[in-house]
Formats: sequence, C-alpha cells, structure tokens
Amino acid sequence: MTAPTPTTDAESALKESGHGDGPRPQSTGEKILRRTGRAIIVAFWVMVVAFMLIRLSPGDPVTAALGGDAAPETVEALRKTLGLDVDPLTQFWQYFTGLFQGDLGASLISGIPVTEMLRTNLPVTLWLILTTVVMTLVISIPLAMFIALARIPGLPYVFRTLTAIGLALPSFLVALILLYQFGLVWGIAPIFGYDPTFPANMQYLWLPALVNCVVLVPVLSRVLYSSILDTLDEEFVETGVIRGVRSFRFFWFYVLRPSLAPTVVLLSYMMGVMVGSTVILEIIFALPGIGRELVTAVTMRDYPVVQGIILVFGILVVFLSLLGDIVASILDPRVKLT
Amino acid sequence: MSANPVPGVSPDSLVEIRDLVIGIQRTRKDRLIIVDSANFDIRRAETLGLVGESGSGKTMVCRSLIGTLKRRSASIFAGSIIFDGLDLANLDERQWRPVRGNRIGYVPQSALTGPNPVMTVGKQLGEAVRRNRKRKDKDVRKRGMELLDLVHIRRPEVVYDQYPFQLSGGMRQRVMIAAAIAQDPDIVVADEPTTGLDVTVQAEIMKLLQEIRSEFNMSVVLVSHDLALIDEVCDRLVVMHAGTCVEVGTVPDVASTPLHPYTIALNRSRIDIATPGAPLVTIKGNPPAVGEWPPGCRFAERCDLVQEDCAVGRNPALVEVRPAHWSACLHTELLGGSHG
Repeated sequence: MTAPTPTTDAESALKESGHGDGPRPQSTGEKILRRTGRAIIVAFWVMVVAFMLIRLSPGDPVTAALGGDAAPETVEALRKTLGLDVDPLTQFWQYFTGLFQGDLGASLISGIPVTEMLRTNLPVTLWLILTTVVMTLVISIPLAMFIALARIPGLPYVFRTLTAIGLALPSFLVALILLYQFGLVWGIAPIFGYDPTFPANMQYLWLPALVNCVVLVPVLSRVLYSSILDTLDEEFVETGVIRGVRSFRFFWFYVLRPSLAPTVVLLSYMMGVMVGSTVILEIIFALPGIGRELVTAVTMRDYPVVQGIILVFGILVVFLSLLGDIVASILDPRVKLT
Repeated sequence: MSANPVPGVSPDSLVEIRDLVIGIQRTRKDRLIIVDSANFDIRRAETLGLVGESGSGKTMVCRSLIGTLKRRSASIFAGSIIFDGLDLANLDERQWRPVRGNRIGYVPQSALTGPNPVMTVGKQLGEAVRRNRKRKDKDVRKRGMELLDLVHIRRPEVVYDQYPFQLSGGMRQRVMIAAAIAQDPDIVVADEPTTGLDVTVQAEIMKLLQEIRSEFNMSVVLVSHDLALIDEVCDRLVVMHAGTCVEVGTVPDVASTPLHPYTIALNRSRIDIATPGAPLVTIKGNPPAVGEWPPGCRFAERCDLVQEDCAVGRNPALVEVRPAHWSACLHTELLGGSHG
C-alpha cells in the first residue's frame, strides 16, 4: 500500500481495502440458510437416536400388547403385521423413506396414524410453550430492568435469594402446590381439561405456564439483570445520556437491546429443556398434549409413536434454538450467526 | 475547605473549578472522597491537559464537567464549577439537559465501547444532531454527512449506514468526535480518547482534535496519563495526584521548571525519553489508595525530597509560585537542583 494520506487512518484504510483476502462476507440470508441446513442435519441425527433408543431399551411391543404367555404363532403373526420381523436396518430404511411421504407410521396399539395423533395433541403442547415464553418475558424483562435501574439498597440481594429459591424448587412440586392453591383452595383455575380454541385455551394454560415461569424467570431475569448491569457500565450509555436521549428510546436502545442477546439465546435453549418438562406438566394438569402421549407410548413400547414424537421434539428444540439465534442477531448486530 | 488561592483567573476563563470535592456516599455517614480540592480553569479555545496516574481522580473531574457522576453513584460534595454564570456543581437533571452535549461535548475513553453497538453510525449521529427536537430526516442526514466529512471519514454515505462493529477503532473514534461536536459546543471533554488505538491512529486522532479545536474555537480538555502526548498537544496542563491538583501551569513552564516533585517524577518515568539499554525509571511506591490518604502532602511517602513538615497537617493547597504557575509543594525551593 502507498503511504496513507494524512487524513486517513492507516488502520481503516487497511480494513477498507482488504476485500481480496479472507472469505467473502456472507449476507444475513445466506447465514440463516446455512444455519437452517445445519439444523436439519441435527434433526436427522435426532431421528436416528430416537429410532435406536426405543429399540435398545428392554421390553418389546409384541409382548406388551399380547402379554407374556401368548402362543408363539400369535406373537410371530403380530410381529409380521407390525413390520418387526425384518432386521433393524431395513426397519430404519422403511421408516426413513416413509418420512418423506409424510408417513410416520401408526400406533402399534390403537392403529391411529402418528400424524393424526400429532395433529390433535401437538397444538396443545405448542400453545403451552408459547404461553410460557410470553409469560416468562413479560415477567423477566420488567423485573430485571427494575432491579438493575432502581438502585434500591438491598434489593439485588433479596432478588438473588428469591431467584435461588425459585431455581431450587422442582417443577412437579411447584405444579402440585399451585394446582392445589389456585385450583382447589381459591378455585380460580380449572383442575383439568382443555379447550382447543384460542383464547378459551388460555384459561387452562396459564397455570401450567406459571409453573414453568417459576423455573424460567429466575434463570432469565438473573442473566438479564447481570447483562443490564454490564451494559450500564459501558461508555456508550454515557454518550447516550450526553446526547440527551431519554425515556423509552433510551431504555430500549441504550439499556435493553444491547443486553438482550444472551437472554434470548438462553431462553431458546431453556425452551428446549422445557419441551421435556411439559411432559410432567401435561400429566399433572391433565392436558391432552403430545408429551402425555409420549409417556403412554413408551410404557407400551409403541415404537412408531415414540419415534414420531421424539422426532418432533427434536425438531422443535433445534428450531427453537435456531429461532433464538436469529432473533438475537437481529437485536444485536454484534452477535454472529455461525 | 477554605478558599485556596485561585489559579488561573484570567479574562479568558471559560470554566472555573474551585475547591471541588467529589465522592461516593456509601452509607448515611460513610463518604468515600475520591477528589478533593480540584482547582483549575479552562480557558477559551485552549487545549488543557489533565494528567496523573490511574486513580488520581482525572476521570471523576471529567464526569463532573458533563454531569454523569450520578450514574456512577458519585456526587459533588463541595466546591463549584462556574461555566458561563452557571454552577455546574449544583445543576439538577433538567438543568443539565441544555448544557451537556449542547455546550459541553464528550469523547469517550474507549473507541471500542464508545459507540452504541446496536445502532448504526447515522442513527447515533442523528440523535446528537436532533437533540429531541423535530427535524426533517433529510436535514438530519445531511448534517450527519457533514459531520462525518469534518472528521475526515472517507465515503461518509457508506459509513453512515454501518454499525460500529464494522468500523476500525480509529474510525469509531472519529465518529464519536463527530457526535461530540454536532451542536458546536464550547468545550469538548476527551477522556483518554486514544485508549486501545495503535500509535499511528492515536496521532491522527490527536491531530484531528487539534484541528477541530482551532477551526471551531473550542476548548478541549484532554485527559491522559501520557505526559509526552500532553506536552505535544496541550497549551496548559493540570497535574493530579491522589485526588488533588498538585501543579497547574503552561506546558512550556511545567516542562522547563516543574514545581512539584510528582511532576518531576512523572517526567523521569517517560518512556519516550528513556535512555536505550538503561533500566526504565518508575515512581517509587504506589499512589495512596482512595480513602487511605495520609495527612499532609499525599506524595510525601514517595518523594525523594520529603521534609519533616510535609507529612503533617492538611493537604497543601496550590500556591502561585511563579506567575501563572501553581504548585502544591511546600518546598519548591528544594527543587532547583533535582532536575535539569
């Protein structure tokens, strides 16, 4: 490079001219596409694991359906109709090719197609997850901002203590306590049942979502609280104050938005974990969700149902974390999608 | 605090800082004093250097000039900062608004965290230009481009829509300078504006500040621990040690006849004038920690010329030892042989 002109940073001149070397920068669209591609590969492995897991666990569906003392001919016949007489590799191939035709198989017990079960039961679970996300954010964000900004002596200490307690409580216990208190003592929440239409379903979902919040809010509000404290320490907040930025604009652009990325990523990850814990909540609150079906299917060794539901859960987890990463990178351009 | 002799009173004074005491109120009765008796003036269109080791209170003095002490839970306990008939030490949040950013600009310490990472350059400049007033987007953009051009950013139309993380450190700091001068302020406070930049970029940023100062007739307060840099670009300097101003004077005066042992020690420890091969000179001991200041002169413990009366009584005040040259040393008569 020639001598830099006096009015140019040598450093920035280098940066500006440095297009030739190094990989071509990717557009956001490309990055999202690549990230989605990776998510699909992960989903495939989830499927493989789901397939293997159920077959490696002890017990088999034929014995479960016919009982231990059935005649060998009957067992053999059922084995054939269920397609379990061939080796596992062939079974996997049949399953895999079936997927692309939208065929997840049918329940070995009831004969209902897995896709049909998903259609009726999955929305309940998705609604529960969505309600949980919204409630968690609605509680965590104002809470964390208030604790960080109010500067009330002793309040952060109380906050830390309470969140530690919340974190330590097992969610099934919280579920039972809340159900007893809200459902039986105060009678303001239904004890069981579900209405699949929105907004009527909220009546049944708010309490299970609240149980999830007892675990999620402490984690998220603490992470957000410490991110906000870090942000407030940054010099750009000072420059914002000096430029006279105030009220909503200040809190959004100078406090909350630069702090949100870790929380969003964590929330998407925690929601993945929550997919698992909804199983317990669906049983306790008698919600006709897909998690409850999964438990039944596992005890009955209902291979196609277990595989199907685990596959859907896996895709859900992968999708949620993808969504979290994308949202985080939109909120904070420093976050790179890799 | 009793009235100290007033350094630097001159018709050119734009800001007069007198007996300024800054600290943190930890509990109702427990105060941690970080700066006491800061005494100096900022003159019109001068570059004033504020120099001292870390923890000497430079940054706190800066923050008192832009009214952001409260954000760091610090406040002014005593003293005054008179700027154009206003006492900045006693302004409330509402009274600060027309002053800070409008009449006193600020260039942050670190180019890395100075710009808001989630906003484009243009959006941030827009805030500085608009200042909550209604202005047409087109005009704001035009003024933003003008400012980028003033700080010599090439291709302003590209940079305007970029995020800070897409810019080099030097460019970010140029953007911060552009935002600081958006309202054509009387004073620009630059708190170690070249921290973390490499040497060539540092020089360019300093040059730019000088250029803007003379073009717009602004005063620049430059905080640094780099005495070489201060010598090069400043007209006058204030040396701070352990929360006190220990020497105030013009750069040539302080360079030729330093009147405080601390200034002399700072000068000796300069790397740029060190003899190659010889061990580097450092100042012995550490500056006394905030809140643990000894009685008398706070440099006494580290001073080669310490006398019996140095480490007793109150923290010595600035005295005009030579015309327009103040020192807080009680024994300036001993300094003659120790340098030059």
